[in-house]
Amino acid sequence: MIEVKNVEKKYGKKRVLKGLSFTAEKGEITCLIGINGVGKTTIMKAIMALTPINSGEILIDGEKIRKESFEKITFIPDTITMLPQMKICEAFAFMADFYKNWDSKRADELLQFFKLDSTERIANLSKGNMAKVNMILGLALNVDYLLMDEPFSGIDIFSREQIAEVFTSHLIEDRGVIITTHEISDIEHLIDRAVLIDNGEVLKEFSVEEVREKEGKSVVDVMREVYRG
Amino acid sequence: MKHYLKLLNFEVNRFFKLYLTLIGLIIVSQFIGAIVVSKGYMNGVDQVMYKNQLSMSQYTEEYGLFSFNQFVGSGWFLLPIFFSIAILMIYVFFIWYRDWFGKNTFIYRLLMLPTERITIYFSKLTTIMLLVLGLVALQIVLISIEMQIVNSIIPTDLQSHFSFNDDYSLERLYPNTLTEFILIYGVGLIFVAVLFTAILIERSYGLQGIFIAIVYGMLSSGVFIAPLLVNRFLNGYFYSLEVFLLELVMSVIVLVSAIWIANHLLKYKIRV
Amino acid sequence: MTVKFNNRDPVYVQVIQHFKEQIAKGYFEPGQEIPSRRELANQLKINPNTAQRAYKEMGEQGLIFTEGNMPSCITKDEAVLKSVREELIIEAVDLFLGSIKSIDVPLSEVLEIVKKKHDAESGEAEGSK
Repeated sequence: MIEVKNVEKKYGKKRVLKGLSFTAEKGEITCLIGINGVGKTTIMKAIMALTPINSGEILIDGEKIRKESFEKITFIPDTITMLPQMKICEAFAFMADFYKNWDSKRADELLQFFKLDSTERIANLSKGNMAKVNMILGLALNVDYLLMDEPFSGIDIFSREQIAEVFTSHLIEDRGVIITTHEISDIEHLIDRAVLIDNGEVLKEFSVEEVREKEGKSVVDVMREVYRG
Repeated sequence: MKHYLKLLNFEVNRFFKLYLTLIGLIIVSQFIGAIVVSKGYMNGVDQVMYKNQLSMSQYTEEYGLFSFNQFVGSGWFLLPIFFSIAILMIYVFFIWYRDWFGKNTFIYRLLMLPTERITIYFSKLTTIMLLVLGLVALQIVLISIEMQIVNSIIPTDLQSHFSFNDDYSLERLYPNTLTEFILIYGVGLIFVAVLFTAILIERSYGLQGIFIAIVYGMLSSGVFIAPLLVNRFLNGYFYSLEVFLLELVMSVIVLVSAIWIANHLLKYKIRV
Repeated sequence: MTVKFNNRDPVYVQVIQHFKEQIAKGYFEPGQEIPSRRELANQLKINPNTAQRAYKEMGEQGLIFTEGNMPSCITKDEAVLKSVREELIIEAVDLFLGSIKSIDVPLSEVLEIVKKKHDAESGEAEGSK
């Protein structure tokens, strides 16, 4: 379980996270929803210790992040985390070199699934294909938790469909996934939990099936209530 | 340790193309220079001997011998070295900033490796040192080749004896004793380490960070030169061995604090 | 197999509904093997947890059964299968009655129109074959 407890963060005088708390369970897809600039990406960076927080606490399975944690949790940002001059196969070799948990077989399977050529240079890839390679860099790690920042934004519809397909597959199953999005409608059926965020605060945290069952509301209905009400 | 070596290899590879270019530049410029300077000298000698009807021994008596330093002091020899030093100095900064800027965000990857983050710092520091020492070693080899070139053009009768100690700048690069060698390159290492830590301060605190980094840099230099200053202030109160030992202690303090601060920043303060 | 889900009903309920329709239509036969939950999630583009939940509910309702480590199968229980069909018919009729009621027409008139429409449509279907 990932626990984000009362996290506060300031950039200068501006408070970007105002005592924000939520949890994400293993085996579930948790979606952080909010318009751009409400602090979704900052939360992910904070979880990965890629940006400091002013107060509060973040625990991964009850522990603070340490170097061993990076074999257990990984982050797929919205830009590629490899050098553009590398070929895809070189990027994979780099991962295999440093991570015990890198699954080369799975990386190759994913490459086939996405119909990518491993001798292609990252710099020459289209935006959609670059997003896919970035995705593989995270998915082929045998980690318990995956954080993905806007995996569906700014790419073509077919790439989007392919990536959505990954979410319904064994690649995601049993892992804890946190994704951020500002556009929920594409993936309403894929997620287990929704965390609505605005202005550095959690406005509502709920299980999407439960809300459909008990209140007959879609995620968008709840968002309408919360943001407009 | 395994990760350190892999990162080191990776970092060296990232600079290698440019490094080979620098090496190529140095070789071409210095070899051409060795030929041009020697030929130029010989032309001059021939002309003077012809005009004044001098024999070789008369010439050397009047005009002196050719010294290899004339080549070493020429732009052919020095400019590519200065250029390489400038590039390496820039690279001390670029080796960090290249991971933050541009379309990729490689710093994410580096900071998410399952290894102590200070390993990144050490691997980059070692990379710079290796690149510097590589060029220094290359220059030794090149000088001996260049002497051969000069010898093949200028008769040895016309040349004075040359050793590394004759030239002030060369003596700095190639000290006589191992202790001096360690001292000179140790100071270099500390200098780069302090710069690295200053860069990380800027990367952690942004605009304010630049100010803090400058203060930190001045403080470090202050601590470093304190023994020398104090000694001068006291009109040479200490024995030189004492100054040396104090200097050693201060160096260790500056280096260790640079590493300690960098470690803390990378762990808790760094921003991507 | 693609299903268009609406966003307001629980997805697992819609999956069960989908299965019931397939059973009623005879697309699933008694005792037929059904996809694993992983395959189902992938086919329907839903979360594996939701597929799991749908199968669990269907197991409890007796629509499917699992023996040991074998893949799950559609029930062979005639009574359950019959009730699924009836349930769907009744649901549809209820829905129909609900809309008819609001227009306030006599049943006899409605039934006549229903019969006419139905004949015409099945005639069309025959004709197109």
